[in-house]
Amino acid sequence: MSVHIIPSLGGGMYHMSKIALIVASEKMDKLFPAVTLATTAAISGWDAEMFFTFWGLLALKKGYEPSGVTFDYRAYEGKLTEALASGSMPSWKTVLEQGLATGRIRIYACSTSLGMFGLKQEDLESFVDSIAGAATFLSKAKDANVSLFIS
Amino acid sequence: MNADITVDAKFKTCPGPLIALADAVSKAQPGQVVKLLATDPAAPSDVKEWALSVGHTLLAREKSGDVYEIYIGVSG
Repeated sequence: MSVHIIPSLGGGMYHMSKIALIVASEKMDKLFPAVTLATTAAISGWDAEMFFTFWGLLALKKGYEPSGVTFDYRAYEGKLTEALASGSMPSWKTVLEQGLATGRIRIYACSTSLGMFGLKQEDLESFVDSIAGAATFLSKAKDANVSLFIS
Repeated sequence: MNADITVDAKFKTCPGPLIALADAVSKAQPGQVVKLLATDPAAPSDVKEWALSVGHTLLAREKSGDVYEIYIGVSG
């Protein structure tokens, strides 16, 4: 897909839309909407910055597969696994990979959470761009049009 | 309307149809028409917004039974 630059309304400056997401849960019901938004943004020509922190960092471990949904919503877990099994819903990793293929998604692993879990960058998936702190993520996210905390 | 390429994303939920469409459009030639078949009720609106964002042309949106037929003209 070719890259299209969307002219902003004023000043003759060019600005690409951007979404910034903080992902603070490793559960399926939180990862799915996060990657859906990031990938949809990326295939729409937006940039997407994703910061995985606290329990969200666990989702970046090599080979991670979510074991379930958030505790409060266990009663509905069957609906989700059914949709995944039927193929009507893709897995969160499939959606993410399709977004990553555009080259417009950047993934940051929270350094504090990494230390808390005793993990190193080599324990994380290769699609993680870098380990970052709050200031780095803020600088990446400050010009985002949409910013969300998903937990 | 005739299409050069048809993408069947029936019974796939968001973001499946849009991902499938974007993938097909990225492989298509400028001037070709790509038809998306979808049952996701969000597809007509999602495709319209996506086309606007990336600069392809929404040619038509039709409905045949429960299936949306959405036509995209691939830009250069």
